[in-house]
Amino acid sequence: MPVYDQSYRRYEARGALRRTRFWPITREALRLILSKRTFLLLLLAAWVPLLGHVAYVYVTTQYPEVGRVAPVDGALFARFFEFQKYFVILLTIFGGAGLVADDLRTGAILVYLSRPLTRRDYVIGKLSVLMALDLSVTLVPGLLFYAVAVALAPDTLLSAELARVPFALIGQALLVSATYSLVGLALSALSRSARVAGLALFGLLTGLELVRLVLTEAFDLPLAALLSLQANLSRVAEALFGVESGAAVSWWAALLVLVAAGAAALAAIRSRVRAVEIVS
Amino acid sequence: MSGTTVTKAPFNQGVGDAPLVEFRELAVWYGRVVALESASGVIRPGATGLLGPNGAGKTTLLRALLGFVPWKSGRLSAFGCDPSREPLEVRRRFGYMPEADCHIGDMTGSAFVAFAGELSGLPRSEAISRAHEVLYYVGLGEARYRTLATYSTGMKQRVKLAQALVHDPELLLLDEPTNGLDPDGREEMLALIGDVARRRQMSLVLSSHLLRDVERVCDEVLVIDQGRVVTSGTIAQLTGQRREVCDVRLKGEVAAFLTDLKDEGGDFQEREDGYRVTLPDDATPELLFRLARDAGVQIRHLRPGAETLEDVFLRAVGHREPG
Repeated sequence: MPVYDQSYRRYEARGALRRTRFWPITREALRLILSKRTFLLLLLAAWVPLLGHVAYVYVTTQYPEVGRVAPVDGALFARFFEFQKYFVILLTIFGGAGLVADDLRTGAILVYLSRPLTRRDYVIGKLSVLMALDLSVTLVPGLLFYAVAVALAPDTLLSAELARVPFALIGQALLVSATYSLVGLALSALSRSARVAGLALFGLLTGLELVRLVLTEAFDLPLAALLSLQANLSRVAEALFGVESGAAVSWWAALLVLVAAGAAALAAIRSRVRAVEIVS
Repeated sequence: MSGTTVTKAPFNQGVGDAPLVEFRELAVWYGRVVALESASGVIRPGATGLLGPNGAGKTTLLRALLGFVPWKSGRLSAFGCDPSREPLEVRRRFGYMPEADCHIGDMTGSAFVAFAGELSGLPRSEAISRAHEVLYYVGLGEARYRTLATYSTGMKQRVKLAQALVHDPELLLLDEPTNGLDPDGREEMLALIGDVARRRQMSLVLSSHLLRDVERVCDEVLVIDQGRVVTSGTIAQLTGQRREVCDVRLKGEVAAFLTDLKDEGGDFQEREDGYRVTLPDDATPELLFRLARDAGVQIRHLRPGAETLEDVFLRAVGHREPG
């Protein structure tokens, strides 16, 4: 019997289109990414700083004199995010570089866009992957850190002075994750190679940071801090956690740069995520 | 979890029923390049061939149907919807098998097809169940747990067909489905597509530059050339209205003979071993003998024949070779 004599069943039970059409895209991409053991190890490693910070809070509760040198305050949480930022970068590079680039290279973009999906559904689906990964190493450990810290040192953490910390944690986690996710996805969309996209993201972030360092340190141009995404995120974190800063750049200018970077990334994604590439 | 409910048109409509797709004076431009210009036609239930040389505008028409490219002027409707205004409604009723590769290499065949089903709006459990069925149907039952990266070209073509079929579309759009296949693979793919069209009663559009593929599978054909639909109808109609043709081998200075033939309203195509001559309406092969005598040419061989779809096609596109 020829193979095509196998059965084929008609399907009539068609329902309404769902609003969460992006969800299968996110779920399948996450499943593929998390099936890689090295990536899981990276995710686990991203929780190590949490242990260190929790241990530090514990030590300050046991030995108050340690707390006098480096108290449990907003700066501690801002520093926690400085650590997590590097894991976010690594997760974005290894998890996000191929998200769109691979679809463009293999033509899978047509599998998505020839379905009842909008380009927005596709982008939301892919962006959610990076957001989920990035929030898993920023928001989740951040809130856990806060909860454990409250349990260990309730008098300090629940004081009016530190009341802003949980909100700052959420805000900073969202900002860090959204910034790197958007920039990572844009670079992925601008390339057909995951490797090139990953290297481009690494090069962009380290390159801009190096330029900032050279311009601020060697040429005494403090406004050059606006060039670096990391520096801008740190500046906003200082403002959110109420850390006194001697930075010459205001937090709102830093935030504005981050918003502009996000908008540019969205524009790049929009221009590249198409079923048909039209070369005029 | 809400959205627009789609009322499906009934399946199994026979050829001659209301058109699934209609386009009138359709013009699509890519920048300054004209891809379709005043293209008009209808696609009815059944198997329709979209035939034309490379660059004729076949893929552009499919892209316009899917709402991928905007059109500059004209009108296009699919299932009574305007694809530019209601792309999601239209796309959920199409199954699209693109010409180029489209796969997610890390996925297994079954995961990929189930994923495609979910993207088309099937519930997850139904998508998984149908993915297995469809993969068996296209002959990938044994290979369905292998990753797509390990598939051969033929298997990739089959899995492309499976992802287009999984949600049981009302109209299957197949863009050059036999591309890159060896002769056996091509035969199998055509058999499969023929089965989809005839036994499963699914309407489909087969876009191809290969006449034999279209002739084998389709009932109707739209011939596109330089962005226009140059001829259309059922294959029976197109080849039924055929003019008489003869394969001839000539000896002598044939230029005058051929000019005279053209003057009489006939036509010819040069073949490897002679000419295929299309006689003017109501003419008989005796005309050829008369013209040969007048031009001083010997007819060394004459075999009356019937005009094939290829002749119709070549006549429609002005003798340019397909592909």
